[in-house]
Amino acid sequence: MPDADSLDLTPVAAPPVPRRGRRRTIAVLVVLVLAMLALLSQGLLHSLNYFETIDQAMSARATLGTTTIRLEGIVKSHTIDRTSSGASFWMTGGKGQEVFVNAHGSPPQLFQANSPVVVVGHFTSSTSDRFDATQILVKHTASYIAAHPKRVKAPNGTTQ
Amino acid sequence: MKQLSQRLLGPVTLVLLGLTFWLGLWLTPPDKTQGNLARLVYVHPAVAWVALYVSFGTATIASALYLWKRTRSLVMDRVAHCAMEVSVVFILLTLITGSIWGRPTWGVWWAWDARLTSTAILGVFALAYLALRRANDDADLRARRGAVFALLAAINVPIIHFSVQWWRTLHQGATVFTADRTLLIHGLMAWTLLISFVAFTLLFFWLLRARYRLEVLRGARYQVALDEALVQRRREGVR
Repeated sequence: MPDADSLDLTPVAAPPVPRRGRRRTIAVLVVLVLAMLALLSQGLLHSLNYFETIDQAMSARATLGTTTIRLEGIVKSHTIDRTSSGASFWMTGGKGQEVFVNAHGSPPQLFQANSPVVVVGHFTSSTSDRFDATQILVKHTASYIAAHPKRVKAPNGTTQ
Repeated sequence: MKQLSQRLLGPVTLVLLGLTFWLGLWLTPPDKTQGNLARLVYVHPAVAWVALYVSFGTATIASALYLWKRTRSLVMDRVAHCAMEVSVVFILLTLITGSIWGRPTWGVWWAWDARLTSTAILGVFALAYLALRRANDDADLRARRGAVFALLAAINVPIIHFSVQWWRTLHQGATVFTADRTLLIHGLMAWTLLISFVAFTLLFFWLLRARYRLEVLRGARYQVALDEALVQRRREGVR
């Protein structure tokens, strides 16, 4: 019987990691890298600027032609006409230029006059100010103001 | 004192979370434009704050401290790993709550704008960090690679923060951290927002502490198992 003290207990190398587990990890990493590349190409590279403003679109209208774009502007008050297929309205840009939008599909819950919106679609021709939209996105502001202003106070203590 | 603060962390977090939901759902007024939809402001920004700055920031700082020889320790590696795991949860919650908010306001669940896309990329980075850690058995190499990766991934955080200023996005601009430091939310709504930030920050530290303790126990269990295996081997040799 060998003595406990005479045993060779020097550390031995750990058994190799099963190949299956390592392959699975590499596969997960590859999938994640592919997902990141897809996100980069779909998101950041194609749409760093998510929309064109009306002023930009109007100045580049000849080159834009009838290309599908995202166009941003403010819904002009008293111009909204809700139809069975969607809504039509005038949209104004920062410099006062206007575009008539004919949108198909139901507008979002917050769609209303004087709200900033982004419409997805195209101009009907390279000279027209009419825009056919397939989608309306409402762009809400970063301000939060109580619906009943007299009930809340501003940070300086005054009522809004 | 330290023990008392650790004991109080959980209850205080729960009380503040309860207070946030009570104020947010019942006492604060609806918003002039968004109506009751604006009540998500008491959840989504606070969750995003924790995901981007608190948890990812903790993971980044701990990673940097691990890479610096003077402060290199197992504690730093564990903190970085645990914070990154919690970060994944908060990034996911940020994307989910943002999506829930986006559908009725914007009209879509998702938009490929710079803010949303860069946040999703941060989520992929966090998952990649965790996958990278599992790809190596050497503890030191795993910690070093993870730390370097976390520092590289952190470059995305300022990109996310400034995305709404650098590019035209569908996502709204800053409400609290505005360029001219003007708070764009008033009265009780502002106080509730502040409480929600504190509540979710404390929730992060509570989760981090629990996860860290689990990691310590796992390490101790591994050591006990190793010792038992050595004893077993000795016995087999004696027989």
